[in-house]
Amino acid sequence: MNVVVLYLLLLKATLTSFSGLGSLPMIRSDFVLRYHLLTDRQLNTAVVVGRLGPGPLGIYVVSVGYMVAGVPGACAGWLAMITPAFLIIPIMRFLGKRSEHRRIKSITRTVLLAGAGLMAAAAVPLARDAITGPMTLAIVAASFLLIAITRVDTLWIMLGAAIAGLLSFQL
Amino acid sequence: MDTARLFLRVGSTAFGGGDPTIAVLQREFYRREWLSPDQFAIAFGLARLTPGTNVLAFCAAAGWYLMGVLGAITAVLGLTIPPSILVIWLTRAWEFGVDYPLARALIGAMVAAAVGTMIGAAVMLVRQQCSKRSWLPPILIAAGAFTLFRVAGWSPLQVIAAAAVTGFFWVRQ
Repeated sequence: MNVVVLYLLLLKATLTSFSGLGSLPMIRSDFVLRYHLLTDRQLNTAVVVGRLGPGPLGIYVVSVGYMVAGVPGACAGWLAMITPAFLIIPIMRFLGKRSEHRRIKSITRTVLLAGAGLMAAAAVPLARDAITGPMTLAIVAASFLLIAITRVDTLWIMLGAAIAGLLSFQL
Repeated sequence: MDTARLFLRVGSTAFGGGDPTIAVLQREFYRREWLSPDQFAIAFGLARLTPGTNVLAFCAAAGWYLMGVLGAITAVLGLTIPPSILVIWLTRAWEFGVDYPLARALIGAMVAAAVGTMIGAAVMLVRQQCSKRSWLPPILIAAGAFTLFRVAGWSPLQVIAAAAVTGFFWVRQ
C-alpha cells in the first residue's frame, strides 16, 4: 500500500478518536474488514506490542504501520499518531478558557463515552480470535478484572500473562 | 536542550500509558517551575478536547508554553521517538517468534491479556464519567455506541458524529 494512503487512513482513525485505543475500531474497520491488510490476530499483536513498552497507548499505530509497509509504514503510523496532537495549539489560541463551557464539555464527554462503547465493540471479534481455550479465557477475565478494579500497571498484567502462557506450555 | 532531554527521558521510561506519563511530567514541571498550575490545568483540560492521544496533545501544549511551536514539536518528538523505535523492534521480534510453539503459547497468552485490558479500559472510561447522581446517561451513551456499531452496522465515524450531536443538545444541568 502507498505510504501516503496508509498515513491518511491511519490519520482518519487518530483524528476521530479521543483516547489512545479509541482509534482501534476505525483501524479494524479499514485494515481488517475493508482492505484485508491485517488479520485480527495481527491487530491484537500490535496492541500487545504497544503495551509492552513505554509511551502512550496510541503507539500501537506505529506497529500497525510497520506490519502493513515495513519501516516507511511505521513512520507513517508515527506521523498519524502525532499529527492530531498539534491541533491543541490553535485550540489553545482560540478556545482558551472557554473549554470550561458546558456545551463543549458535554460534547467531549459524549464523544469519550461513545469511544468507550466502540472500544468494547471492537474487542468482541478480537476476543473471538484470542480465546482458544480455558487458559486464554481465564487470562482475558483476570486481566479485565485487574484493569477494572485495581491500579496495576498494564506492563505487569502482560508479564503475568506471559508467565501463565509459559507455565501452561510446560504443563 | 533541557526540554528535549526531559521529554526524551519520560518517553523512554514512563510505562502504563497517558495518565502515568502526565503524572511524571506534572511532578517534573512543578519541581523545575516550568509551568504554573493554571497553565497546567489549561493544557490538561484542552488535551481532553483534542482528537488523538491525549498525552501527546498535553505535551504539545506544555512544550508550546515553554518554547512556542519549536517547544511543542520538541516535546512530541521527544516523547514518541524512543518508544516508537522500541515498538518497531518488538513487532519485528514478535513476527519472527510466531513459528515457534513456545513463542506461540506466549503470544496467545499476551494477546488474551490485551483483549481483557481493552474491555477493562472501556469499562473504566465509562465508570470515570459516572457519579452517584448521574450514572445512567454515561452507560446509555456507551451502550448506544456499542449497539449502533455492532448491531446497526454504523461506521465508527458515524457513531462519533452522532455522539457529538447528542452532546451538543443534551447538556447536563
